[in-house]
Amino acid sequence: MKNPLNKRLPRELKSELGKYLVIFLLLIGTIGFVSGFLVADGSMIVAYNESFEKYNIEDGHFMTQNKMNKAQQKAISQYNIELYDLFYYDASLTNGTTLRFYANREDVNKVCLMSGQMPQQEDEIAIDRMYADNNELEIGDTVSTHQQTYRITGLIALSDYSCLFENNSDSMFDSIQFGVSIVTQDAFDHFDEDLLVYSYAWKYTDGMPESEAEEKELSEDLMENISSEVTLDDFVPQYLNQAIQFTGEDMGGDRVMMIVLLYILIIIMAFVFGVTTANTISKEASVIGTLRASGYTRHELIKHYMTAPIIVTLLGAIIGNILGYTLFKVICVNMYYGSYSLPTYVTIWNLEAFLYTTIVPLILMVVINYLILSYKMKLSPLKFLRRDLKRRQQKHVLHLHSKLGFFTRFRLRVIFQNMSNYATLFIGILFANLLLFFGLVFPSLLNDYQNQIESQLICDYQYMLKIPTEMLNSDSKLDTFIAMLKFSYAVETDHEDAEKFSAYALNTDFEDYQAEEIILYGISENSRYISLDVTQDQVYISSSYAEKYLIDVGDTLHLKEKYEDKSYSFQVSGIYDYQGSLSVYMNQELLNKTFDLDKSYFSGYFSNSELTDIDQKYIGSTIDLDALTKISRQLSVSMGNMMYLVQGIAIIIFMILIYLLSKIIIEKNAQSISMTKILGYNNKEIGLLYIMSTSIMVLLFEMMTIPLVDVVMRIIYREMMIEMMTGWIPYIVNPIIFVKMFLLGMATYVIVAFLEYRKVRKIPMDEALKNVE
Amino acid sequence: MFLEINGLCKSFGEGDNRINVLKGIELCIEKGEICVLLGPSGSGKSTLLNIIGGIDSSDDGYISIDGQRIADLDEKKLTQYRRKHLGYIFQMYNLIPNLTIRENIEVGAYLSDHPLDVDDLMKTLGIYDQRHKLPNQLSGGQQQRTAIGRAIVKNPDILLCDEPTGALDYHTSKEILNLIETINQKYGNTIIMVTHNDAIKDMAHRVVRLKDGKIRSNIMNEARVPAVDLDW
Repeated sequence: MKNPLNKRLPRELKSELGKYLVIFLLLIGTIGFVSGFLVADGSMIVAYNESFEKYNIEDGHFMTQNKMNKAQQKAISQYNIELYDLFYYDASLTNGTTLRFYANREDVNKVCLMSGQMPQQEDEIAIDRMYADNNELEIGDTVSTHQQTYRITGLIALSDYSCLFENNSDSMFDSIQFGVSIVTQDAFDHFDEDLLVYSYAWKYTDGMPESEAEEKELSEDLMENISSEVTLDDFVPQYLNQAIQFTGEDMGGDRVMMIVLLYILIIIMAFVFGVTTANTISKEASVIGTLRASGYTRHELIKHYMTAPIIVTLLGAIIGNILGYTLFKVICVNMYYGSYSLPTYVTIWNLEAFLYTTIVPLILMVVINYLILSYKMKLSPLKFLRRDLKRRQQKHVLHLHSKLGFFTRFRLRVIFQNMSNYATLFIGILFANLLLFFGLVFPSLLNDYQNQIESQLICDYQYMLKIPTEMLNSDSKLDTFIAMLKFSYAVETDHEDAEKFSAYALNTDFEDYQAEEIILYGISENSRYISLDVTQDQVYISSSYAEKYLIDVGDTLHLKEKYEDKSYSFQVSGIYDYQGSLSVYMNQELLNKTFDLDKSYFSGYFSNSELTDIDQKYIGSTIDLDALTKISRQLSVSMGNMMYLVQGIAIIIFMILIYLLSKIIIEKNAQSISMTKILGYNNKEIGLLYIMSTSIMVLLFEMMTIPLVDVVMRIIYREMMIEMMTGWIPYIVNPIIFVKMFLLGMATYVIVAFLEYRKVRKIPMDEALKNVE
Repeated sequence: MFLEINGLCKSFGEGDNRINVLKGIELCIEKGEICVLLGPSGSGKSTLLNIIGGIDSSDDGYISIDGQRIADLDEKKLTQYRRKHLGYIFQMYNLIPNLTIRENIEVGAYLSDHPLDVDDLMKTLGIYDQRHKLPNQLSGGQQQRTAIGRAIVKNPDILLCDEPTGALDYHTSKEILNLIETINQKYGNTIIMVTHNDAIKDMAHRVVRLKDGKIRSNIMNEARVPAVDLDW
């Protein structure tokens, strides 16, 4: 005979439709989104991983000042590598962006044509799909440099630019202002050779080492060998190439974040189920007592009360997965395509996604509910029959002063009586606020960062000069001396506000974090642009550097050469309030001395006016506001929509949790509410007694969780930023965010309170007369 | 002897608050008897019933049913004991609100390997026509009949009734008592009934009076009156 208790299930689901429906929808939404994300992530990551072989991605590349001659190429090829020319030309377009031009590649870093066709004529071009999207360019449109106009024939993804980093040292990629493109070889040959960047990709003839450690060792040896043959401008082994690696790493990171988010939500929902079921048990105590007295085992009853949550979870998981593979997958794929320049993909059935979004949530739901129910069911049948469900009898009654007033005392008693429910409510509000804060704080951080950078700008134009390395590397000392003199003369300026500085780039040397470039500035005494006292051997660091790596005055910095095994240590004398970059400031003389540079050596100018009297060929780069705000700009584009989604989810969770948990409190007190109605209290007064108690607690929890959320987010944020990117966006929360959060929380609660009030009104007076023994 | 109670003691509370509810109860009940436990509030009759029913434990003494001591049973076996041998009827009906009358009785039938025919039983109980209704659509008497049906459908050896008519009016109470008597006659169950209605003693085979945790009298009723003729 089938257990007749099972016949209750459809009726139970129907009678508690509101509760089950909201949790069901939340489950579908959460599981669907995460499943869609994992399927998209899994499919995309397979496409990404396969692209290494499919498109024959380089094992690394290096750049030289001049085109290598055949002898040099031959000499370098002896180090078990095969070399490929990957010259490029960076051009400013008339739309204000920078486009990198490559000739079509046949052998290495091959091109994935997403739509259209590859260029056939000299005036045709295929451009990166994402750059095209961000700049609203389509096939058939034209793009123009200041010399030439090209017609777009195709949209492509370059396998070595899945993430559009203009330079490998950039803090963040920039798919808005920077793009890559392919033109025909003939078109490429027309570019001025002096303006070409001589980049050479290599592939190890013995294949790529299996581990990153081996790859590192091998590439370091290779770098030494190559630098003995040519002067290196840049050397980027594959494992350090952000344009190739960032996408894969980010995909992995997002995946973990999504799974953790899913489990937190499932645990919260399991708790809500557990708490509501425990409440049902309290309501049905005498029935349970009778059943237990009649011979129903504890296990049979636990199973019975667990069935509804499990059915709801299972259905939620099934429908969530169906939506995950259809609707949400497309959304998530578009999110990836919105951030990365990935090749085409094929949807792959993902066993892991099924496991993470169906099996694990189900197990979590079973385990949490089982623990709560078995704890609740431990009581003897007699206790159930007597409705005596408290394990510990209250021995002492908390004395409340009569001066407090009857309503206040009443409310306090309601609060004390429902402490366990309020504890769950506190955790729920904490989590919902954390999500809400996450959604609100990011756009604000990015916005504030941009404003801060603008106000903290050292100068309007920071010129980094390009020192012709051949001048320094000539065999003849005299030649070098003359060349340097010539260079020194050429880079002198008459602009009065120009101020010389030296700069030197080193890498951080942390065991736990990946290496990151730090710019060391040697500044002149009494600098007009950086107001620091560098008269002595003082070393300052930027506040962003201090915040990111938690460095304080008196600490010692350990930095190392990028391509050599040489380390430097500096003791921090002070922190300079500057968020634009991770940098170190010291006396120019000290910097030049530290790095064995000539006393008169300098690397560039700070200036508030544009320097017009220095030849462009001596200017390596100009750092202006646009360059400094690249990080925030890109993050705004790639994470903006996500943040709105998070805000929405947070508000829904907030509402559901408060609604379900406050509903329990009302239900638990249904008999007392009914009795107060019999006594003559009106609905408004009852609302003031029962709903006001929850309102007070919600208000209190809001105030308690907001600072707590700030502390938790500070920790999460730092870890996330360190993991996610080089550079730093300071964690400075605009107080308005807290106000917004509080108001949103309370506004949400007002809706819930209204629903609660309706519930209170509906409690009939005969409720008090039911089952009272 | 079918049911034997020997030196049963039970107390609640500790120290100065300790109350001895049962003070060495000795009682034997034959199979198929209707035994009525009478006594004022606090005399220990419900506690005694609960210990017989295996939902409460004694401090001292033992209860043996058909040669099996209840105190020797662990929790699992105790549940099985209740499942196989006992039926419970309470003053409050404790029906499952979202199951129909028939389904509520099936809840009891599920526990037995050889349950009684549910339809027959409902006819006996006079609730057959109400079988598709929910408990809240029935009168108190009909609900109690359902509760009796739930207890009796598994054809238990012992039917424990704790104030089964406590919440019912005179006529309905008599109907319920009549039903209990009919069941006893039809199925031969041993019935132990707790009540403080003195008139009910007349329908019992055995009348046990408790006061202050002790048996004051244990009398076999030689002049039984059918339940239908009871009056109070």
